[in-house]
Amino acid sequence: MKLRSLLVPVLLACSVTAQAAEKLVFYNWSEYLPEGVLEQFTKETGIEVDYTTFESNEVMYSKLKLQKGKGYDVVVPSTYYIAKMRAEGLLQPLDKSKLSGLKNLNPALLDKPYDPENQYSVPYMWGSTGIGINTEALAKGSITRWADLWDAKWKNKLLLTDDVREVFHMALKINGHSANTTNPDEIRQAYEKLQQLMPNVLVFNSDAPREPYMAGDVDLGMIWNGEVIMAQEEMPDLDYIYPKEGAIFWVDSFAIPAGSTNVEAAHKFINFMLRPDIAKLCSEEIGYATPNLKGYELLDENVRSNKIIFPDADTVANGEFQTDVGDALKLYNDYWEKLKTGK
Amino acid sequence: MKPRFELFRSTIILITLFWLGLFVLAPHVMVLITSVLSPDPNNLAVWPLNLNSYVNLWDSLYLNVFLDSLYLSLLATGICLLLGYPFAFILSRFSPLLRSILLFMMVVPFWTNSLIRTYAIKLLMGKKGLFNDVLLGVGIIDEPLQILYTEFAVIFGLVYILFPFMVLPLISSFDKLDRSLLEAARDLGANGWHRFWRIIVPLTSPGIIAGCLIVFLPAMGMFYVADLLGGAKNILLGNLIKNQFLVVRDWPFGSALSVSLIVLMALLLWFYFKANQYIQRKGGLDDDTLK
Repeated sequence: MKLRSLLVPVLLACSVTAQAAEKLVFYNWSEYLPEGVLEQFTKETGIEVDYTTFESNEVMYSKLKLQKGKGYDVVVPSTYYIAKMRAEGLLQPLDKSKLSGLKNLNPALLDKPYDPENQYSVPYMWGSTGIGINTEALAKGSITRWADLWDAKWKNKLLLTDDVREVFHMALKINGHSANTTNPDEIRQAYEKLQQLMPNVLVFNSDAPREPYMAGDVDLGMIWNGEVIMAQEEMPDLDYIYPKEGAIFWVDSFAIPAGSTNVEAAHKFINFMLRPDIAKLCSEEIGYATPNLKGYELLDENVRSNKIIFPDADTVANGEFQTDVGDALKLYNDYWEKLKTGK
Repeated sequence: MKPRFELFRSTIILITLFWLGLFVLAPHVMVLITSVLSPDPNNLAVWPLNLNSYVNLWDSLYLNVFLDSLYLSLLATGICLLLGYPFAFILSRFSPLLRSILLFMMVVPFWTNSLIRTYAIKLLMGKKGLFNDVLLGVGIIDEPLQILYTEFAVIFGLVYILFPFMVLPLISSFDKLDRSLLEAARDLGANGWHRFWRIIVPLTSPGIIAGCLIVFLPAMGMFYVADLLGGAKNILLGNLIKNQFLVVRDWPFGSALSVSLIVLMALLLWFYFKANQYIQRKGGLDDDTLK
């Protein structure tokens, strides 16, 4: 009796899921989608969206890897994870005939080595990691380079992102190496450089790096450009610097996992996000740059000319996009643990 | 009536066993098995069986992580005991009704998730937070102190979150303290210090040990307190395990770390058990007093 009464709702739930017209599980970075976008999509297409978020590529990757690419219909990995996941068969090729909005995208961000001809991914937004500074407390012109963070006067004052690749990027760039190096000597030299930086670090934060700036706990350190834009509404004195050695650039792209069961709905969703009005809304609200040229044209002039969001071509050329480093990631991580344990 | 009761009893026991087997035993066995497999970037863990992960534990880096975690946890436990012991003693002096109300008031905040309370502490401790505002307001300091993201903040957070776990076993020990023993001791000429050290402390030692264990063990794993309040500058055992699973994806090593933590816990519980036995023998007291 007990068992049967339990079974009934379970069976009911199963049949309901099987009958539901269309639904979609969207797995996105936290704080990376304006409110209302999903509701609008559901209203227009009748497709229900199940929305969950992650804080790091690693977490998203581990979940997909564990479930062999099942459980999610649209994910948003960064470029270097696209390359990795594609190679491991975790993503499925996109049907471009269903993505009419592709033509809206900036060709400069398409057909990159991490995904030739964009067979598996469609750029959502791009942004950078640079230096954040509270100009109320510090003179903006006094900081121009990553190397300025090494100054002993910042003892116990800085914020770094809690991201091994980004933190090593600074040191590798100062040493004149590629931020995507797999050369063990260069990684070791970067580690030695970072050892000198550690006394200056007050806090590591990759959840919402803007918050310690807004709470007044730090005035200087690393930050993502979109976080500065978001923070400026309440804290206009927070400014963003593209360091002379080169900022860290990334692209986050939509992709469909190999095990997706709602492929049709996933394509509809990606195409919806490629619409100029939606791309404009996302860029405006989240503070990162849209790769959508049509959407870009819809943006206010003051947003388009905002160099924090849309840096000029020289700044981009001077920086470096993150790519997959393969097995060297373990080496990076070993040094990262050593840095943090201070030994 | 009786056979039905028997059936009821065995059903309950079966359900409990099934539950524990499925959600406690099976995952632990999986962790144990994973810990002796070899890491593999594509399949998480593969054959052959080996003990490499356990050999890696002895790397000086990981010993340092362990010592750091141990230091923070011991310090937090010690402070909890120093504060909790007199606290429980005083509480046990009140009438049962008043004591229940006071205990209730102590426990109420703990109905809120500890992560949320940790964020709240973070707000209080910030440079523009309440602590600094008050200190600045009454003129004790001239510029805001760096309280947040220091070791002090981490210890404060751990003590705050784990304090009730120290107090509750202590109160139950104080409850069972037989006052007539104290009166007898006074009649026989023992001074205050002697009564405390020779009678109260030994009789409440089960509570002290239980409280210390219940505080110490979670403290070893509460990495989010160190991450949020300490600025994520240290790697503790909890972070290390999390990193092995999510970032490095060396699942065997992560599992070996978890197993070693479980073994440590088991050792401490064994120690607790032995200590109880010792106290029983020494004191010649019945079981009831020591629960």
